[in-house]
Amino acid sequence: MSASVDGPDLSASRSHVWFFGFFAKYGFLPVILIALYVGFGLVEPAFFSGANALNIIKQSSYLIVLATAQMFVLLTRGFDLSLGMVVSMVSVASSLVMAGIAPNGEGPVIIALLAGVFAAVAIGAMAGAVNGICVAYFDINPFVVTMGMQGIAFGLATTLSGGFPVLDIPVLLNKGLAQGAWFGVIPPPVAVCLIILAASYFVLNRTVFGRSLYLLGANSRATEVGGIPWRRYNMLAYVICSSIAAIGAILITARAGTGEPSLGGGLVLQSIAAAVIGGVALRGGEGRVIHVVLGGLLVTVLSIGMNLTRVDGFLQEIVLGLVVVGAVFLDRLRLKIRL
Amino acid sequence: MGTQDKRDMASGDTAPVDQSGGSDPSLLIEMKGIDKRFPGVCALDQVDFDLRPGEVHVLFGENGAGKSTLINVIAGSFAADGGSYMFCGEKLGRLTPYHAREIGISPVFQEFSLAPDLTIGENLFLGRELASVGVLNKGEMRAQAKSVLEDLGFDLEPHARVGDLPRAQQQMTEIAKALLREVRVLILDEPTASLSERETDRLFEIIDRLKSEGVGIIYVSHRMAEIKRVGDRVTVLRDGRKIGTVDADAVSEENLVEMMTGRTFDAFFPKIEHRPGDVALATTGLTTKNRQVIDVDFSVRAGEVVGIAGLVGCGKSELARAIFGLHEITAGALMLYGKTITSPTPSQMLKSGLCYFPSDRVAEGLSLSRPIRENVSLAALDLADFASKGFLKIGSEKARAAAIVDKLQVVPLDTEKQVEFLSGGNRQKVMLSRGLARDINVFLLDEPTVGIDVGAKTEVYNLIKEMAEAGAAVVVISSELPEVLHLSNRVYVMHRGYLAAELTGEDITEANVLAHFFDRDHETEETSSKISEGSGP
Amino acid sequence: MTTPTNTVADAAATRKRRMSRILGLGLLPILLVTLFVVLGLIEPRFLRSANLINILRNASFLMLIASGQMLVLIIGGFDLSVGAVVALTSVATALSMTGLVSVFPEAQLFVVLLGVMAGLAAGSMIGVVNGLTVAFMKVSPFMVTLGTLSIASGIALYATQGVPVYGMPDEFTREFGRLRYLNLPVVIYVTFGVLVALWWVMNWTRLGRYIYAIGSNAHAARVSGVSTTFYIVVTYTLCSFLAALTGILLTARIGSGEATLGGTLMLESIAAAVIGGVSLRGGVGRVELVALGALFLALVTNAMNLVRVDSKLQTIVIGVVIIVAVGIERFKSRGKIR
Repeated sequence: MSASVDGPDLSASRSHVWFFGFFAKYGFLPVILIALYVGFGLVEPAFFSGANALNIIKQSSYLIVLATAQMFVLLTRGFDLSLGMVVSMVSVASSLVMAGIAPNGEGPVIIALLAGVFAAVAIGAMAGAVNGICVAYFDINPFVVTMGMQGIAFGLATTLSGGFPVLDIPVLLNKGLAQGAWFGVIPPPVAVCLIILAASYFVLNRTVFGRSLYLLGANSRATEVGGIPWRRYNMLAYVICSSIAAIGAILITARAGTGEPSLGGGLVLQSIAAAVIGGVALRGGEGRVIHVVLGGLLVTVLSIGMNLTRVDGFLQEIVLGLVVVGAVFLDRLRLKIRL
Repeated sequence: MGTQDKRDMASGDTAPVDQSGGSDPSLLIEMKGIDKRFPGVCALDQVDFDLRPGEVHVLFGENGAGKSTLINVIAGSFAADGGSYMFCGEKLGRLTPYHAREIGISPVFQEFSLAPDLTIGENLFLGRELASVGVLNKGEMRAQAKSVLEDLGFDLEPHARVGDLPRAQQQMTEIAKALLREVRVLILDEPTASLSERETDRLFEIIDRLKSEGVGIIYVSHRMAEIKRVGDRVTVLRDGRKIGTVDADAVSEENLVEMMTGRTFDAFFPKIEHRPGDVALATTGLTTKNRQVIDVDFSVRAGEVVGIAGLVGCGKSELARAIFGLHEITAGALMLYGKTITSPTPSQMLKSGLCYFPSDRVAEGLSLSRPIRENVSLAALDLADFASKGFLKIGSEKARAAAIVDKLQVVPLDTEKQVEFLSGGNRQKVMLSRGLARDINVFLLDEPTVGIDVGAKTEVYNLIKEMAEAGAAVVVISSELPEVLHLSNRVYVMHRGYLAAELTGEDITEANVLAHFFDRDHETEETSSKISEGSGP
Repeated sequence: MTTPTNTVADAAATRKRRMSRILGLGLLPILLVTLFVVLGLIEPRFLRSANLINILRNASFLMLIASGQMLVLIIGGFDLSVGAVVALTSVATALSMTGLVSVFPEAQLFVVLLGVMAGLAAGSMIGVVNGLTVAFMKVSPFMVTLGTLSIASGIALYATQGVPVYGMPDEFTREFGRLRYLNLPVVIYVTFGVLVALWWVMNWTRLGRYIYAIGSNAHAARVSGVSTTFYIVVTYTLCSFLAALTGILLTARIGSGEATLGGTLMLESIAAAVIGGVSLRGGVGRVELVALGALFLALVTNAMNLVRVDSKLQTIVIGVVIIVAVGIERFKSRGKIR
């Protein structure tokens, strides 16, 4: 506001720059992550086992996929509260498609799977498009739009399924996308997660669209004055978010082996928490793929650690809430360090 | 920042003792050696200032010279880092805005302290409602508000919602709010920037009355006529330092400008060789949907600088914005190099070689948290230099950005630095670099020197000179009259959305321009009532 | 920069705005009456007094919680945690009553009183935390209350392990919960009283004035000497207090402490406030209209129940209503030059 303080010119000493620069870039996260890992390991030695390490990586890949989805809208200074319920809706809908084509795996299973995935992404993209159009073209608060969409998606998920899990989906889905390993080494969810991360990295860093997301998140009016079709890009961010969430929904459905209307309950909170803890800024325009990976790992380590040390499930919800508030504190702290 | 260390030592402690000893209790305000630093910037450096009862003390200086920092220190919004601040012979400790108002220091800033959703009456009493045990005494407040407004001779309706008022009336509300209580020091920050002539006269009458009551007035202004009319003494600031205090009667404009800029009048404004060629951009009867631009015929030729002047809110900035496609045009024609453009959009105008540089760099010019490089290429991502088929060419982008930043001498030269760490002048250069990142022949510069220091100003002026002499058409929209007067080949004056005058050659003088700021007051009021009847729902 | 100075545009705009304000006020009552008449005509069961009382009772709960939400929205914030506060209050009330009743089996009234106080305190605490965090850390209220939402419902679930808490004194569940006066449930009177008090606070007290002023322009309020942080904390606390009150009334009505109570109330409270014309950008909102907004939602829900729309589908309708209501608000304010 004040014209006289237009721009501080930072010229602190070198070592400080490195020290603060590291935290400004990655936050305290790597340190906390290691501390947590060691801490849980000391309390429960089983935590250190190779099997558990693999489990952490595998479980975190689900969350990282969803947090990546969330990041696309967070970058635009938006939010997607409907993400969890979109996951539920997509899970139910794609399961119904698969079960319809090949009930209990009897019939053209491959076609059923492909159709299921296709339906998932299409439905996700549609939900995202509705969110995006309302936000970008009608200027409605993203938060209200996605909250409304949350209600809509929840209603559709429970109505479509009648409130019960869709049981008769092909077993191959579980076998191929949740169990075992692709190429003998890499668990399928991890592989899918890596593909999504690589693609997101490329899109965000190497395309005009990705660049525009950062620019419009930092200052949408500047992109308008700069002649960038920001409304279109802003809308696309929601479409991509929901589409990635739909892929996440397929992975989670595969893991559960059933289409579940109650799948997405806590996922919104977790995905936002993971992204923000990782270092994606709530005020838009800042956030990288590595942030989401770190944040996703942290939340997963915390949750698996609490499970192994037998922390009550409800208590874990409290911890997650504290972590979210803590993440917001960290977000502020990063901003303070930078300025 | 070479003097930074010395200053740090000088103000090592906040000097609780009155060092000068010779404080004068008859002065309302006496400030000695005031320092104020912001991270990396020294906004005030050993500034002395005093205010006598019953005088108007004008603060004069460039944007960023420290005027607003000084009045913020006086009003308690900022705490000084060093120096002493005496009020009526008493040393002030930590002053808050609230406390400052309590002791009779009332500021009227350009950024209003009004809540748009409340009424005028509610705003007048904001923060000091008449109430007993938290229950409002609405009747009494209504009566007092009415009497204060009547007393001031302001034509304001206490029930009106402030957000519905035009800026001039908001300004008067703000002044009334400052005068509602016992005032000993009144601070006015460019109060006339949006007032009409009649309202300005009314304000000056009030100032005269306050002076006779012994109130001290600190008055920030750029307008010579005004300074001569109300000012008693003038203090000139430059780059956070006090240059001197002079009597308003005894000083000429040349003197003040030279004090303000630190260079001779002619060296400050470069001599531009205008060689007007073909008409680059022209409008006929241009009218916008929000009716802030009405029936404007305007043109600029290649190779010339055209200035647009007018009061705040006269539509000068909206004209440029409409041409660039940021306001909807409802009537009139727009021609760029003889080609008619019906409904312009920013991307289309950029492709045709026209670029608008907004006045508010923070709000709509730059993506502050992104690096310089990304801001340089922001408006040119459709060009082969920066991207093809939607994929970025980072290497080429880096090279181009580095070359442009080098040419404009942006400090730092590191293109990966976030723009928020840059000073105002360097931010402006980053924004202007857009004009170099792609082929731009028509430049619409909206307040190109707002909030930047003197050095950067001359650089911007020289850049304008360079562009115009290279054959570009340059439009300079500015509230700083000298800028418009001395850079332009022709000057348009706008008033309430209409084009009030076009001045050329010898006619371009401050007196002529100012005359057209107001002269159509009565005329337009009549037309305006007619129009509003026609366009009512 | 964007403030209007052109008197031409302004005169027209003022007139238009005045029109839209009348419309904004007039639309909701008209809509309500229309809905009422249409429902009465097509569905005779609708007009039965039992049904009408039922609507009023449901609307009352919503009015209470929505008026709290309104306060936070006016001051420029948001409260996602209201639903969780209802749950937490319910559990806290029930647990403290069942705990105390074994200690003081004779003094039931005393137990009820203490239980209610415990519930109100527990719920209001969340508001204090919300307010302090928003006011002093200056972080997005949305993230803060998302966090406290999780914390509050986590505490409620953890304390009960998800099992309903029975065994509260009859004084509370039977006599208070089903108390009627002039054939109307007591909750309606409580709500009416609270609404009148809030209306008075918003229009006739310094607190109300400052809530509007801060939401309208926090900077202006601050430089005018208003302690914005204090009033923000007070406002969030009031919001949670009203949610806690709702929680207690709901608990008395259903007769058990439930950690899952209030699940949809967060969504509905925002919906009611927004339908009632509260601006999401702060500074604008009126209690009486929010009450009408809540009544509208209750009517719609009742209508859907009567014509047997699946309860799952109802969340879809509410979702759509929210988006449309905010969209209309957005559309109306688009003409504003501000």
